[in-house]
Amino acid sequence: MQEYILLMVGAALVNNVILARFLGLCSFMGVTTRIDTAIGMGLATTFVITVSSMANWGVEHYLLVPYGLGYLRTVTFILVIAGAVQFTEMTVRKVSPPLFQMLGIYLPLITTNCAVLGVALLLVEGKMTFIAATLFAFASSLGYSLVMVIFAGLRERLALAEVPRLFAGPPIGFIVASLLALAFLGFSGISTS
Amino acid sequence: MPIDVASPEDPTDPLQPALVEGLARVVAVEGGVAWLEPEQTTSCGACASSGLCGSKGIGTSESWLERRRFPLTNAPGLVVGERVVVGVHERALLKASGTAYGFPLVVMLGAGAVAQWIAGSDGITMATMVVALGVGLVGARLGARWLGARGQLAPRFLRRASAGETCRID
Repeated sequence: MQEYILLMVGAALVNNVILARFLGLCSFMGVTTRIDTAIGMGLATTFVITVSSMANWGVEHYLLVPYGLGYLRTVTFILVIAGAVQFTEMTVRKVSPPLFQMLGIYLPLITTNCAVLGVALLLVEGKMTFIAATLFAFASSLGYSLVMVIFAGLRERLALAEVPRLFAGPPIGFIVASLLALAFLGFSGISTS
Repeated sequence: MPIDVASPEDPTDPLQPALVEGLARVVAVEGGVAWLEPEQTTSCGACASSGLCGSKGIGTSESWLERRRFPLTNAPGLVVGERVVVGVHERALLKASGTAYGFPLVVMLGAGAVAQWIAGSDGITMATMVVALGVGLVGARLGARWLGARGQLAPRFLRRASAGETCRID
């Protein structure tokens, strides 16, 4: 149990997808203008990362490794992720068309999010069991969501602040992101032994 | 069922719940109903440029947008090609994403943890999680029906978009 908790803390905070691994930076800057959309995007990405990582784990262990097809890993994972995104879309559409339409207006497309592929490749590198891989993917996406929400909160406050004209907009956003990354660097001091 | 036009609200009233805004373009008008297509397409907020690429097919931004068309009661007299700003209450967006993504995920992970604890086998855990995901989606369907009955999933017309207004509404 302790092993799983440490794995999740490590994935969410110490090796944060955005601030330590620099994945998903596009959505980090693009969808963090409001806390609400950041939370919605975080939930959608958490779902897709977790489901696609589970599917990728199955593909890796029951197809790629037994048949010596490791060289096709990246292409296969991209295909599986695209399938998982389409599955998610189709399912939400079938489950509730009004819900699908509403989320379509306010939440962006997540197929192009490199964090999804990055987490799947990290799972392979870590040689994890199924449940460990699932928890790692879930925790990684929780870390992604956490940073998105924190940064959205900071940007909402920045919108009200008086910023020098030269730094207004994305420049001050990047400076704040770097300070946030420095703050998260503090988690690297957590001992897992 | 067409979505109603918003009742007048005072945006400066602190007691009114905040609205999350989004941009949509009128693509068809049928009688008293206008069909709108959302403009926001990618996670980096590249809305305006992606609308110009013209590609069409499974998985492209155009087919993605087509599936997201939604009706709106055409009380403001909208015409095809016009861009409008639609809004929902911020809590409604949180509830909707929680219902669609959060609930099935929690059910699936909970069932997976229990299955691993009891059986300790990857195969059984995987099968249990797939079944639990299905159960979670049924629960999401019920939750969405409940939200829909309370009218919380309906975006409302707020105003016509100005010429320079992009999908990145701060």
